[in-house]
Amino acid sequence: MFKKLIAESTAKSPWLFHINAGSCNGCDIELVSVLTPRYDAERLGFKLAGSPRHADIVVVTGPVTTQSLPRVLRAISQVPEPRCIVTMGSCPQSGNVFRGSYSVAGPLSKYVHVDVDVAGCAPKPEAVIDGLALATKILKEKREAK
Amino acid sequence: MSIVLSAVQYLGYVLIFPGFLFCFLAGLLLCGIDRKMVAKMQKRVGPPVLQPFYDFFKLCGKETIVPAAASSKTVFLMAPLVGLAALVVLQLFIPIFQFTAFSGMADIIVILYLLLIPALATILGGAASGSPYAGVGLSREMVTIISCELPLVLILLAVGKVVGSASGTGLTFSFSAIMAYQAEHGSLILKASMIPAAVAMLMVIPGETGNHPFDAAEAETEICEGLLAEYSGPPLGVYKLSHAIKMLTLTSLFVALFLGGIGSGIEKLVLLCGLSGAAAGAVTVILGAIVLFLLCVVLTVVCISFAHAVTARLKIEQIFKFYWTAVSGLALISLVLAWYGL
Amino acid sequence: MSTALYQHFPIFAIMALFLGAFLIVLFGNIKPLRHAIALLAVTASLGFLIALVKPVMLNGEIIAYWMGARAPAGGYAIGIALEVDALSLFFGLLIATAVFVSCVYSIQYMRHDDNVSQYYTLFLMLAGGVMGLVLSGDLFNMFIMVEILTFAAVALTAFRNTVNGALEAAFKYLVVGCMGSTCILAGTIMLYAQAHTLNFAQLSAFIPGNMNTATVVAFALLYIGFSTKAFIVPFHPLAADAHGAAPASISVLISGVLTKSGIYGIIRLSYFLFQTMELGTMQFLLVFMGSVSMFVCVTMALAQHDFKRLLAFHSISQIGYVLTAVGLCTAMGISSGLYHAMNHTLFKGLLFLAAGAVLHETGTTDLGKLGGLSKKMPWTTALFLVGAFSISGIPPFNGFASKWMVYQSIYQKAVESGNIGFLFVTIIALVTSVLTLASFVKVSQSVFFGQLPKEYENVKEVPWGMRLAMGLFAVLCIVTGLFPNAVTTYLTQPAAAAVFNVANYINAMMGSGYAESVMGAAAPAAQAVTFVEVGVWQPVSWLLILIIALLAITIVAIAGQYDRVSEKAPAPAPVDGKYDLFFGGEQSVYSQVGGEDLFWGFKHNWRGYFSFMHELHSGIVNDYALWAVVALALTTLYMLIVF
Repeated sequence: MFKKLIAESTAKSPWLFHINAGSCNGCDIELVSVLTPRYDAERLGFKLAGSPRHADIVVVTGPVTTQSLPRVLRAISQVPEPRCIVTMGSCPQSGNVFRGSYSVAGPLSKYVHVDVDVAGCAPKPEAVIDGLALATKILKEKREAK
Repeated sequence: MSIVLSAVQYLGYVLIFPGFLFCFLAGLLLCGIDRKMVAKMQKRVGPPVLQPFYDFFKLCGKETIVPAAASSKTVFLMAPLVGLAALVVLQLFIPIFQFTAFSGMADIIVILYLLLIPALATILGGAASGSPYAGVGLSREMVTIISCELPLVLILLAVGKVVGSASGTGLTFSFSAIMAYQAEHGSLILKASMIPAAVAMLMVIPGETGNHPFDAAEAETEICEGLLAEYSGPPLGVYKLSHAIKMLTLTSLFVALFLGGIGSGIEKLVLLCGLSGAAAGAVTVILGAIVLFLLCVVLTVVCISFAHAVTARLKIEQIFKFYWTAVSGLALISLVLAWYGL
Repeated sequence: MSTALYQHFPIFAIMALFLGAFLIVLFGNIKPLRHAIALLAVTASLGFLIALVKPVMLNGEIIAYWMGARAPAGGYAIGIALEVDALSLFFGLLIATAVFVSCVYSIQYMRHDDNVSQYYTLFLMLAGGVMGLVLSGDLFNMFIMVEILTFAAVALTAFRNTVNGALEAAFKYLVVGCMGSTCILAGTIMLYAQAHTLNFAQLSAFIPGNMNTATVVAFALLYIGFSTKAFIVPFHPLAADAHGAAPASISVLISGVLTKSGIYGIIRLSYFLFQTMELGTMQFLLVFMGSVSMFVCVTMALAQHDFKRLLAFHSISQIGYVLTAVGLCTAMGISSGLYHAMNHTLFKGLLFLAAGAVLHETGTTDLGKLGGLSKKMPWTTALFLVGAFSISGIPPFNGFASKWMVYQSIYQKAVESGNIGFLFVTIIALVTSVLTLASFVKVSQSVFFGQLPKEYENVKEVPWGMRLAMGLFAVLCIVTGLFPNAVTTYLTQPAAAAVFNVANYINAMMGSGYAESVMGAAAPAAQAVTFVEVGVWQPVSWLLILIIALLAITIVAIAGQYDRVSEKAPAPAPVDGKYDLFFGGEQSVYSQVGGEDLFWGFKHNWRGYFSFMHELHSGIVNDYALWAVVALALTTLYMLIVF
């Protein structure tokens, strides 16, 4: 029963940690708009955490530049299990317009397992919420599998 | 036999009511109402009222990481538990109107110092993590404590003086005397000289709990939640729980100090219903707890949620200045008025 | 007068220490013998005093001991006398305890120093001097003991003369300390000229009825003389320098023992010799000096960047509490002041020993250079925390129990006298306490927590002997905190009763009826030492509940796998930083937040005050000597106006 309670809670209380891996700032703004009164992702329990140690979901934006790669990976590794990695926007998935640049090390999936991809440049807030909601389900599955 | 019975009774006080279980439920519920109210004030839907429970149980299921640079693993892990235990015990000494779980064991000056223990536990736990963010958070947390201490001292001395001069001893620090005074003369907030102190106390509550706009110590956007930066999993959950219980503790302290007169109303109500004996006592306590919780909710909404919704975070030196000038000034007015017998 | 064996114990307690000092000069080159003599001397001294607890503390006897059995003849006390009442014994016990623990600590602490036999000689001279001072029954012997202890303390301050600033500190101490001693001598001479006696009891009977300008000036001189020994403001900079330079075991004596001798002298003067404490003006003097010391020194401590200097300022801040409480002239005030004096000896001793342990292992006490030592020295950290909680007044440690009584006594005094000034003293006392906590949070962050600097990777825990000494103090801190009622009943109330029973003190020495015959109707009647506490505090029950709650929470937590911690050494791979500290994604580097300016949020608002204080404490001995002269002049003037 207790395990079930924890698993249920895991789905209902996902805390986000946002990493900007060389983003143009478009996705960052969209992510914040998700928390504004209009969309209010907090009604699903979403909250921005200040430290990766508190987070459940890591949201990565930007094409993962060579400069940011070790930092992104380090911050992701500091998130305690169970965790979910969500890429936001087209950049971390494909490189988008920055693909092939000498300074882009992406896509992120080359280095870590990515759970959810939210596509778009920048994705609509609805899409972001949809993606995050999917991530919470994955979180719950990970917790139950433990 | 009676020893066993009273031991069971006291154990019940510690573990169930008004101890651990009550604190757990009421504290987290209070925290949830606070979050919901802030959302409503910002025209959001807001999280469910049970959200803090979800947060707590989720954190219980997470991994606990002790950083390799932590200077003391024992302190890092034990500090949250000690802080929580100290807070629960503190709650046992605060009267619920005429009922106190352990009366005659601690007075208001002791409460002032017992309130330092949870904060100190957070500070030592954060310091033991070795994180520089925790170092900055520690500095701010300590300055916040210093800031709140002076007004709180003035408020408590003023209350002690008013109650003491009415009871003939000149001054008193004991909770039972304060509650007896209020049962007889009505709530302290009704006295003109105590109104500034009550207002000051309302301003102290968000500072003591570390809520907006006095949360410079745990600023998540600037210093990565400061003292809690390296905490994860259950210890973090315990801290969040302590924070919620602290809101309950401080608001119920306000009720005990300034709104204690409501207790006699409850007693009259119970008498009106024709109850007597042990049943009346039990009903009084339960009703008292419910009324206390409702009052705590109102106070939380007034001084924590409302302040959260309308203000931006203050800098640490502004917090200090605010408390040592405006709030202390208000409390000092009360103290001086009380001194001259008003 | 019965001549029970214990009548001789006071002189044995003093002699044991001095004899030890001389024996160490003779046999000090033999290493084990040197330690054995020192330990034996301090143990014997402590033992003799403990044997006196029953007759003096519990039965309320006063031991009047005449050297060579030269009892007073013709109403004049000529012989050298020891007089031990509960007050003397109380301070004697404190001193003997601190000396004993410090001696245990010294054995391993001083093993890397040269000339250790000289150290022990001076150590025992200092201890003997203070012991003689508090047990002495006449003013001139008190002066001699003051001289012995001052010179021993000066020499010990400069004992590690290779340490930067040690000689300077000793010189400052010498200059101002000698001014204090000279004041005491001058006061003694003036009193002798007036009263033709040096015996305390006879003086106490004579002076109150014969106050004139000369005795008042003598009072001022003696008062300032003992103030320098207690290091209260404006003599506090000396203590900071001396503590910074002296070995930690000596700091324990300077802070825990020497300052107590000053407080003891002030109590003896104002309650016994001159019996002036009934006057509001004298209460004002003591309470004012006490609260100024309390507040100025705690703010000075916040600005320090050296562990031992910080402790030195706190030491005086706590002495401020003692002086304030003693100056209230209420039964509860004296009782709580003595209680706090005792606790101060215990927790400050513990803290200095912890600072010494840090110095012993790392070679520095600079807050800006240390950090993270709890990883390497868990025992020292735990013991330090006990001391830090005690001094900051965190329940249930002893500092809280006594401070809480001090607050009550001040506030009660405020209500009784209707004087709003005492109300502000209460507020200062309460705020000082939280500032004390702040600076000990600073120390724990800067020294024991935070990150460990690279150069201290190989630091080890201190040897067991030093831990044992610290442990003794820590256990005493906890015990005296948990049983405040026992402490007040058996230790501080008898001592407070002695303070309020001057006639008995006089008669025990000079023969019964002497006080009444000399002083007539003015003879002070014994007052009952009973007081009502306005608050309630039951530490044992509180602790019991806390332990139950903590156990319950821990059991729940462990059942919920709270202790299943993932922890391992950092992996060498460049990107796997799971166990690194979070640095915003960067690779974590050494970064310690600590040192002097930790509470800038507080200091920023007080920058005017702090820069003023900074300029005032110039570190020039001429200035400090000037302060001493000004303090003397002002005190004399004040007393001349008042009386």
